[in-house]
Amino acid sequence: MSITQIALPARGVRVRAAAANGSPALLALGALVVIFILTAMLQPGILSVSGLTLMLMASVPLVLAAQAQMIIMSVGDIDLGVGYLVGLVTVIAATLFIDQPLLGVLMIVGIFVAYAAIAYVVQKRGVPSIIVTLGMSFVWLGIGLQLRPTPGGTTPEWLAAISSWRPTWFPAPLIFIIIATLIGWYITRRTLAGTRMRALGSQAPTLEKAGISLVRVRVSAYLFAALLLTASGLLLASQTWSGDINAASEYTLMTIAAVILGGGNFAGGRALPIGTTLGAVTLGLITVLLSLINIPSSLQSAAQGLIVIAVLAGRILIERFSR
Amino acid sequence: MTTASLRRTAAETAPALLLQAHGVVKRYGSTTALAGVDVAVAPGEILGLVGHNGAGKSTLMRMLAGRETPDEGTVTWHDGGTWNQRHAEQVGVRMIYQELALCPDLTLAENIALSDRGARGWMWRRTAERHLVETLDRVFPGHGISVVRRTGSLSMAQRQMVEIARAMCTPDLRMLILDEPTESLSIDATRQLYAALRELARAGVGMVLISHRMQEVLAAADRIAVMKDGRIVDIVRAAETSEHALLAAMGGDVHPDTTTVRTGTAMPAPDFASDAELACIDGGGIPFHVRAGEIVGLAGLAGHGQDAMLRRLWSNARGVRTTRRRAYVPGDRQTSGIFPLWNVADNLTVSATRQLSVGGFVSPRRRRALAAQWVDRLRVKGGARAPMTSLSGGNQQKVLVARAFATDSQLVLLDDPFRGVDVKTKNELYALMKIEAGRGRGIVWYSTENTEMSHCDRVYVFRSGRIVSELRGDEITEDRIIADSFGADTATETI
Repeated sequence: MSITQIALPARGVRVRAAAANGSPALLALGALVVIFILTAMLQPGILSVSGLTLMLMASVPLVLAAQAQMIIMSVGDIDLGVGYLVGLVTVIAATLFIDQPLLGVLMIVGIFVAYAAIAYVVQKRGVPSIIVTLGMSFVWLGIGLQLRPTPGGTTPEWLAAISSWRPTWFPAPLIFIIIATLIGWYITRRTLAGTRMRALGSQAPTLEKAGISLVRVRVSAYLFAALLLTASGLLLASQTWSGDINAASEYTLMTIAAVILGGGNFAGGRALPIGTTLGAVTLGLITVLLSLINIPSSLQSAAQGLIVIAVLAGRILIERFSR
Repeated sequence: MTTASLRRTAAETAPALLLQAHGVVKRYGSTTALAGVDVAVAPGEILGLVGHNGAGKSTLMRMLAGRETPDEGTVTWHDGGTWNQRHAEQVGVRMIYQELALCPDLTLAENIALSDRGARGWMWRRTAERHLVETLDRVFPGHGISVVRRTGSLSMAQRQMVEIARAMCTPDLRMLILDEPTESLSIDATRQLYAALRELARAGVGMVLISHRMQEVLAAADRIAVMKDGRIVDIVRAAETSEHALLAAMGGDVHPDTTTVRTGTAMPAPDFASDAELACIDGGGIPFHVRAGEIVGLAGLAGHGQDAMLRRLWSNARGVRTTRRRAYVPGDRQTSGIFPLWNVADNLTVSATRQLSVGGFVSPRRRRALAAQWVDRLRVKGGARAPMTSLSGGNQQKVLVARAFATDSQLVLLDDPFRGVDVKTKNELYALMKIEAGRGRGIVWYSTENTEMSHCDRVYVFRSGRIVSELRGDEITEDRIIADSFGADTATETI
């Protein structure tokens, strides 16, 4: 067999192509920079290791949950159960992990089984994921309230230790955020399974013609998402040292906003892990910024929503101009 | 994979026939798509498959590719076993699809990796890239496609090239099924493709080639099977037949359809102000204008500015003066034409709701009447209440064209609407256009098939985004259009 020299793209071409493919995430980067500068001007104290740690801490579980949402959205679905599922995991961690560790692990396994079942139903029966996951969110809420009607409990030592690790030379949350992004990137961009997930969201018939089981692809996407959501819940529990089914109820919409802010779309086919992380951190920082400028906490969600709408409107404008 | 090793593997195990279909029958509901088909593909041969839309070509093709199982009869690979998609994939049978078969959100290499069994493991992406670049370089030298780009950012022609390369980069390719592979390719790429197909044939790969371009089938195929009404009515050696004989065999009438002309002339008399200027664009070389009652063609090589011109006219861009009421017939019916969940009547009348409504409410009676009138006039199979997706491609296209003409728009823009439509439907639609122009409408018609341009009153030929010539009457010939689209003095050969 003769081997002829073939010209694979050079590094420069690859970098440029990657930048072009990831360009929708630029907006999230811009928004993050603006909000970070504003926050730093109002409160210069955040420009220290401990300041950054405090400011970014709340973003860590959100970034993990946003990566999960990104995976679900890359197959063209939306998970409306994210908030209560993360809350349920904190409840399990703070209630069962010490008293009945076996039951706790079994319940985590149960979450994975449930997610595989959701994927199966969505693919096989054609039920919109919004409906199934919305229904499941009430199931999570019910189980959580049954286990722990009021916030409380204690997390096991090993779990609490994760978040109490505070190196003085580097903000620890940044490391967790980077790891979470890398996991999301690895799953969706580096693995063949991730490519198939995006293909499923982009154009399912193509995947089917290639002889690949659509059920298997969707189930794998939901399982990866369940894994990241569980991690998100455990980290949140380790930060708060307690379990609360309502601890992350705002995550459902925040994760979706983070994915969209980071350049994703509702139609599916796209997964931009770095953009998603930037979007999630931006949303987290908005909360910090709003509390710094003394907006009543009751109005914070409204202000947050307006900022998100403004940023997304900017994205539409940019897309229109670049065409 | 080089052709040398292909030749070796093929020579070692060359059977007399690769794939055989016996008495294949396939029904969808009440319609019989295939009514007993016998066909066989030998190694190293190119079998042409021609016929109208709805003749059963697509069904037969899916059957041969193992994507569907016959209701009666058998499809067998030479080494036996049940014929299904998995088996077809394992023994190296690949199909090149006509519609957009690549995921737009993935990079080219990722698209290849979906179907490339060699691209697995840690280096899957690099392997897929190498396979694709290798094949593209071999089949389409000088293609200029970067494999790291997102598929959605490619032109139709480039995507088709990648789709072809995807099938061809299979290491142990034994049989290739091509469904209208050249519809969106440039003339150069088409020539390169057929050269590659001949190379594959020498290496022992069997091929089935479906195309509406008779000249290409005649030039490339060894044998040609003619399909009609779910049967193969004739199998002839390509050398012993002609375009005219093939058209006759599939029952295609090469003359304008007289029935449509008759039903058409029974329509109401002209209701448009005649002789009005409907659109004009000045400046930049040859001015463009359309008058009432004219069919104006936009010709030239694909992607040289014809579709951009249609878009400008449609969106009333700067520098364009057009009438207020315009209608547009998209060429890509799957992505921008039909409403798949609606029935034929709803699809047909959606643009005409303004003239059908009274005080903001659409009158169901008038709507039904309008739909019935057009379904009857164009003889849309299945009737007004059939679900849109149950129609064949040709009939769907009829509905889309009818949608534009059912409105009161005086200017109708056609964006290469007859791609992949059978000869009979085309003739009906040509006749319809003539009648409608006679009633005072202006029609701007972009087509990639130069022969179609003979139906126009005037033709603008495009090159590199500009109008390079304006042809009238007898000047409109295929040779002239080709000459002008390549530059006046470049000698060209037809494929």
